[in-house]
Amino acid sequence: MPKKVSKYVPYLLIAPALIYLAVLIGYPAIEGIKLVFYKDGGFSFATIHRAVNNYYFWPALKNTLKLVVVILPTQLVLALVFALAMNKVFKGRNVALTLLLIPMTLSDIAAGLIWYSMLSPSGFINKLLLTSGLIQTPIQLFGYQFHTREFLTLVFVELWRSTVTIFVIVLAGLQMISQEYIEAAEVFGAGYWTRLRHILIPLLKPSIQTALLLRTIYAFSIFGIVMVLVGRDIPVLAGEAYYQVTQIKDYGVGAFYALLIAVMSLTIGVIYLRLTKAEYLEVKR
Amino acid sequence: MNKKVLSLFLVGVLAASIFASGCIGGEETSTTPSSTTSPSEVGGKVVWASTQLMPPAERAFLLNTVLPGFKEKTGIDAELIPIGQSDLTTRLAAEEESGKVTISLIGDLHGAIDYYESQDWLMDLSDMPALEGRTFISTFQKYSVIRGKKVYVPWMSATYVMVINKEAFKYLPEGLTEEDVIKGTEKWTYDEFLAWSKNIYEKTGKKLVGFPVKGLFHRFLHGYLYPSYTGYEVKKFESPEALEMWAYLKDLWEYVNPSSTTWDAMADPLLRGDVLIAWDHTARIKDAITKEPDKYIVAPVPRGPKGRGFILVVAGLAIPKGAPNKEGAWKLIDYLTTPKVQAETLAQTGFFPVIEEASEELPPGPLKVLAKGVAAQQSTSDALVVMIPNLGKYGGEFGELYKEAFRRIVLEGQDPAEVTKEIGARLNEIFQEVGVPLP
Repeated sequence: MPKKVSKYVPYLLIAPALIYLAVLIGYPAIEGIKLVFYKDGGFSFATIHRAVNNYYFWPALKNTLKLVVVILPTQLVLALVFALAMNKVFKGRNVALTLLLIPMTLSDIAAGLIWYSMLSPSGFINKLLLTSGLIQTPIQLFGYQFHTREFLTLVFVELWRSTVTIFVIVLAGLQMISQEYIEAAEVFGAGYWTRLRHILIPLLKPSIQTALLLRTIYAFSIFGIVMVLVGRDIPVLAGEAYYQVTQIKDYGVGAFYALLIAVMSLTIGVIYLRLTKAEYLEVKR
Repeated sequence: MNKKVLSLFLVGVLAASIFASGCIGGEETSTTPSSTTSPSEVGGKVVWASTQLMPPAERAFLLNTVLPGFKEKTGIDAELIPIGQSDLTTRLAAEEESGKVTISLIGDLHGAIDYYESQDWLMDLSDMPALEGRTFISTFQKYSVIRGKKVYVPWMSATYVMVINKEAFKYLPEGLTEEDVIKGTEKWTYDEFLAWSKNIYEKTGKKLVGFPVKGLFHRFLHGYLYPSYTGYEVKKFESPEALEMWAYLKDLWEYVNPSSTTWDAMADPLLRGDVLIAWDHTARIKDAITKEPDKYIVAPVPRGPKGRGFILVVAGLAIPKGAPNKEGAWKLIDYLTTPKVQAETLAQTGFFPVIEEASEELPPGPLKVLAKGVAAQQSTSDALVVMIPNLGKYGGEFGELYKEAFRRIVLEGQDPAEVTKEIGARLNEIFQEVGVPLP
């Protein structure tokens, strides 16, 4: 290939991706911003005013943040534990791995429906407990009066459903770590915790970073599972965006909620990148 | 040399002008035939835009059963355009304004058609040929004539009713009989409903009454409780009678299944046995009745101090002014309102016939159970029929405001006087903006 042509090849190769981003992400994003800030041909805060004064806005923001704060760290710890366990070769490892991966194949709506039918007062788990005589009346997990229970159920189902995403990435990261580091550390007498703290976790940081970034974006836009399990008992931002657009037809307010989700995920993303800069043992002093 | 260049230039200009004129002429000749053929193409086909029967199963019924049946009978192709109400409004406005109407038939709710009529987009149907062999139910016939003009042909109807598991009759409060409930007599009141719900809870230890709070519950508030207690949907939103109504609902809520806030339709909770008594849209409880017809009774709703408020949903078929194929559209209207298609529509979608003859086509079983309950509700002597107000783009917010009032007063325990004052003000604003009198 002549040098002149080959100079342009990289640009040509990334062009489809750029066009895709511009048309399907860039353009809607600009339109979204316009929906929020433009009114009658000029700059206006009217939409934001309407959005912030909506009865559901503050509860939705609070609930979304609460869910992110509770779910993400728990998921990370669980995923690390599972990944460390699965990194060893043991009998039945493949079966365990398959079981862990099952939730990944389900959509959030499907997962929500499955758990709703299991946990509802007339559901499978209540029936099992009733017939085994462990409880006298069914345990009520859903309903506005049972806010804390609803919240914990949401957390549980979301952990069940999406911890596996982090787990898979962390496990892949673990398997890439050279055994030589571990062996060297063992030779120098480092115990399990020391190896974990000073070798495994630092080397896993790039994987953890990717996994956390992905999960954070999804956690901020949590909706399907909330919708199926608890409806609007626990309003969340993505859900309110949906209601504003489909029920109330206030596209501006809907766009504001969506924008807010984007800004929050982006901010957290930047913080992650700062906090979890990849470390390389070779260059670390 | 110069002369040569000039002559070459002139030849070039000449050639270009000939070429250009040829092009323009060619375009003219090529557009003429297509512009004459296009109306006849449209003419052979009926373009039917409908906001109704759009969930996948119902749409499949139209596409796989109704339209092929129509084609077989008349030889006319019909193209169904599933469309949302606001999109249809925009499209009709654009088509009427530009004079290029492509839609020949509209299927929409009474309120929306009323709006299209107010914009003068619809044809007067009084001169169309008679539709033989069917008697339209008088209420629907009456509503389809708006401001003296026959605007649409009634197509389907729906309402919201009570579904009662027969087991619940074991716990009837003293003085209320099964017959009172089934026939909707004067004794079947909201107070008796409360006493009944309380009785069920005390005897079984379970809260077995349910509402679809995530679903269409706002209809229960503005179309059932409000008119039954205040006589109006909106007009007396903050009145003392309304406050009495909210106090009642708070009392009732003590015996309502707490999971209600997570339900969007009542068929599943009924079938699962989570509730014995439920209120919902006929289409949304149809599943329960079809699966276990012997287990349930469909009954009229209770009455309040001002009467028995209930919503009547009517969908109609209208023809836009300047429709490219109004004869075809009329044939499709004819087909859709035949007793057979009307009965089939009920069987497949849960929407009720608008003609008397359709009941003869109904087989005994679940559909009869439903139809009987609906007929009983419509024929109660104290019926207070409510139509859903047509508020255009504010339709969604209207429902949301009732749900917000419910959440704040009943679930969060806020002061009803303050909440109704605040939300009442917004409701007033909406009606004023749209220019619709307070119902």
